[in-house]
Amino acid sequence: MSYLIASSLDEVLTSLRDGSGKARVVAGGTDLYLQDLPYGLVDLSCLKGTTVIEQEDDLISLGSAVTHTAAASSPLVLSRARALAEGCEVIGSPQIRNIGTIGGNVVNAAPAADAAVALVGLGAEAVIIDIEGNIRQEAVENLYWEYNRSLIDSTREVMISLQFKPCMDGEGSAFTRFAARRALALPMVNAAARVKLENGLVKEIRLVAAPVNPAPTRLVKTEELVIGKPVNDQTISMVERSAAEEVEVRGSLLRCSARYRLHLVGVLVSRALKTAAERAMGQGKAGE
Amino acid sequence: MTLKTPEKSTRRYGKAEGTDYQSPEVWSKVTGKAVYGIDHAMPGMLHGKILRSPYPHARIKKVDTTAAEALPGVRAVLTGTELESKPFGIAVEDELPLAVDKVRYIGDEVAAVAAVDLQTAERAIKAIKVEYEELPAVYDPAEALQEGAPQLHDNFPGNVAWERELERGSSSAAFAGADVVVEESFTIPAIHPAYLEPISCIAVDDPYTGITLHTALQSPDAVRKIVAGALNYPLSKVHVNGPVMGGGFGGRVYGNLKVYILSAMLAIKSGRPVKIQLTREEEFTAGRPMIAAAIKMKMAVKSDGTILGREADIITDNGAYSGQAPWVSKTLSERNDSVYRIPGIKTRVRLAYTNKIPTGQYRAYGNQVANFATESLIDMAAKKLGLDPLEMRLKNCVREGDITVHGLQVGKCGLSECLQAAAREIGWDHKKAGHGYGLSVAIHANGSLVFDKNFRGASALARLELDGRITLFTGEQDYGQGTHGAFAQIAAKALDVRPAQITVESKETKTAPFSTGALAMRQTTVGGKAIQLAAEDLREKIFKAAAELTGEPVTMKNSVLNTMSGRTLELGEIAYHYHNNTSGLNLTGEGKFVPEESDYDESGYGNISVAYSFAAHAVELELDKTTGAITVNRLVAAHDSGRIVNHLTARGQVYGGVAQGIGMSCFEGCLFDEGRMANATLADYKIPTALDLPEIDPLFIEIEDPVGPYGSKGLGEIVMVPVIGAVANAAADAAGVRITDLPLTAEKIYQAMAGWECEQ
Repeated sequence: MSYLIASSLDEVLTSLRDGSGKARVVAGGTDLYLQDLPYGLVDLSCLKGTTVIEQEDDLISLGSAVTHTAAASSPLVLSRARALAEGCEVIGSPQIRNIGTIGGNVVNAAPAADAAVALVGLGAEAVIIDIEGNIRQEAVENLYWEYNRSLIDSTREVMISLQFKPCMDGEGSAFTRFAARRALALPMVNAAARVKLENGLVKEIRLVAAPVNPAPTRLVKTEELVIGKPVNDQTISMVERSAAEEVEVRGSLLRCSARYRLHLVGVLVSRALKTAAERAMGQGKAGE
Repeated sequence: MTLKTPEKSTRRYGKAEGTDYQSPEVWSKVTGKAVYGIDHAMPGMLHGKILRSPYPHARIKKVDTTAAEALPGVRAVLTGTELESKPFGIAVEDELPLAVDKVRYIGDEVAAVAAVDLQTAERAIKAIKVEYEELPAVYDPAEALQEGAPQLHDNFPGNVAWERELERGSSSAAFAGADVVVEESFTIPAIHPAYLEPISCIAVDDPYTGITLHTALQSPDAVRKIVAGALNYPLSKVHVNGPVMGGGFGGRVYGNLKVYILSAMLAIKSGRPVKIQLTREEEFTAGRPMIAAAIKMKMAVKSDGTILGREADIITDNGAYSGQAPWVSKTLSERNDSVYRIPGIKTRVRLAYTNKIPTGQYRAYGNQVANFATESLIDMAAKKLGLDPLEMRLKNCVREGDITVHGLQVGKCGLSECLQAAAREIGWDHKKAGHGYGLSVAIHANGSLVFDKNFRGASALARLELDGRITLFTGEQDYGQGTHGAFAQIAAKALDVRPAQITVESKETKTAPFSTGALAMRQTTVGGKAIQLAAEDLREKIFKAAAELTGEPVTMKNSVLNTMSGRTLELGEIAYHYHNNTSGLNLTGEGKFVPEESDYDESGYGNISVAYSFAAHAVELELDKTTGAITVNRLVAAHDSGRIVNHLTARGQVYGGVAQGIGMSCFEGCLFDEGRMANATLADYKIPTALDLPEIDPLFIEIEDPVGPYGSKGLGEIVMVPVIGAVANAAADAAGVRITDLPLTAEKIYQAMAGWECEQ
């Protein structure tokens, strides 16, 4: 087995080409030991640019090897993409957050990965390059093949960065989760919301819940219901009802029953919307 | 959780004196120097691995080990049929080292191998071919007791491993005369102690010394006796040499006997040291969790809140083999009765075999399991009568001089003081609106006079070394509770030396005095008393030797002897004087604490311990009504454990015991799916993290006890007992509905509040 700490993107792509499907990309590696180790691993985390968080023009861009800790404590993320900071700060434990990456959180393809849910809530797109040098851009929610399996083939594709529009004036985002304990527990449900208000009414909205499907799932019907309405108690109650009606969920012995999970979808989505709207109206904490 | 900085501690090891003495022993742990069982290796050591049953209940038709034995690197293979062992066990002899004709749970031991490395051992296990014939299985203990249920053991018809029916006083009169009767059914899952270090053992077979087990145990003497029996070895040819233990909590009193016996058998067969180390999954699926229980209980109460009687019908889940479950079931079914003045009780308890993981014990021996039921009923009765739960407890709690319904003789008792202190500290009289408040009380024995009626106490030796230091030899194990530090303090007080001058030795059964073990909360009270007596004996011998040397009477202060004429002597000088005069002996004090025989009768009535500890806990929590989630904000733990020997370690015991109690109340429990444990990892078996714990405030009501050393009593086990009842009562107070099925998850609370029918 080989482990290469790549120093350039070229080196990554060359190594993957040379690996002929037997070498794959690794970033934080927190879940690596849970899987069968591949023949070769190509480590992205020391590449120039993959750990950068920056805003250019109208886009926030995070390198795919940005750690959860870095994302959760970035002033830019905290002020312009609060949902992502909230999602990243509850993943695993401090040790896992210090090495786990947001790119890995997406490519690992767990159905309710906290950073991935927040990214879908924010409307993020992934920039992906393959070993032939083709670059494509894909919405995060479209990167899931099935449960715990990504459409990104890590033996021939590399996610370089994640990009989304920052929350500007009149916009806010929020992330919520509910688990059996306060740390080191997969969520029974997590949710994210991004909302843009104009004259006190919802102009644009994204509502996301998981685990509902293999990918973090947008609640389009509920989103449509909210467009043009003020985010008041009546709307929040309507969202709670509608969100739970819009999705189907599974129950499990280890987490919770389907009925309770459905109830939580309603509660968490409406809570995320309420907080996002407060932030949009500038009623949250300073700088949001 | 707020860990308050102890006021007196100087934070430098060996420096802090008084009741915040910090034993130097802890420094080998915090600096990473301590060697735990899993760290151990030996020259020429082989790795052992156990083949386990994939079926909950099946007949073994054939075991073929040919391929495994042919693998290069494999040094020994064992199967049940070749062993011809007789059954062994703790309370009941119902186990064999390896299954012979039948397997009875998923994880049952079928074969064992030893190989030059772990990978080869794992390959060898996979190469063993076993033909099974599946049998119908039973998982629910109530179903197991019904006629026609699949039978696990031929010699235990009806799957009854143990049962008891008991009536004391007149229970029927109590219920006839009651103003109010409260009744409820409670269920508690099997709980694993979840110690951080999985059990491991290196067995060495030596032609001269016999078998030595390098494994950390709470009760090494009890285990070596069982292992000697299973191996058919003389007792003096089986030794235990304990490395540092990575957590015990009752789970390592007997640990995992199969691991010790099989590593010894593999060592004998291969002629090499053999190490077996359980994986975390094996710990969960073939370990020994505390029994699950279903408790149907009712209580008869007068309108003024006086308890008249209580009846209980209890079914406990033994799993496939008995372990300590009969004893745990007994404590579970009766100890709570003695915390209140209850004139009449009636109890039926049945322990049922099921095709699930065999069971063991956990800190508090089932007392905490029944606390959930008893303390819930107290609050239910108080609510029905419009009484304050605090007043109702104060009205009924036992007091000094009482003889309880089971014949326990209550000596010094600060239970009502504990209740008042806990209630005052939590703000019982000025509760925050919308928050839930709950109380619970506990009694727990300090060692047992009746476990072995002929052996009730403890002994110890105190030896003066040639450099003037003192070594204590005891069979009482310290695995983090702070026992050895406390022993050093007790001996230091008796001798008037500094505790840092004292070293405690207990690890090797070859040299340590015999001990019943670190169990039943007996160590400080019973073991510590023997230490005190040994130190006092040594002091007298030192005085005698000094008087012989100087020809005049002596006194001792701060490790220095002074004669009447003003001469001073160091302890080392006395040690050498005695050493030379005896051609090499050391001055040695003997301590023998032999408690009086108990009046305990055939029915189990009588005094069972030299002293009893008491506790009252108070909980304040908040409830999120939209999800059912509770946040335990604060737990006040008021304890009467007599005079506290060491406040630093006593607070540590309270923090740890409360954390485990919160785990059992809100998070933990073995989940089963057709006999297979569904949450057999620490990711899915959820013990609380630091973020899940409340602020914990220990309060010590220090009433001197006449028996324990310098007025002290035990604290380790009782801490966990009241947590469950207090959290359950506070949750019911906040939610307005009562959950009777542990753990108290958000989902259950929400379902109950929403009036949903139970799902899953």
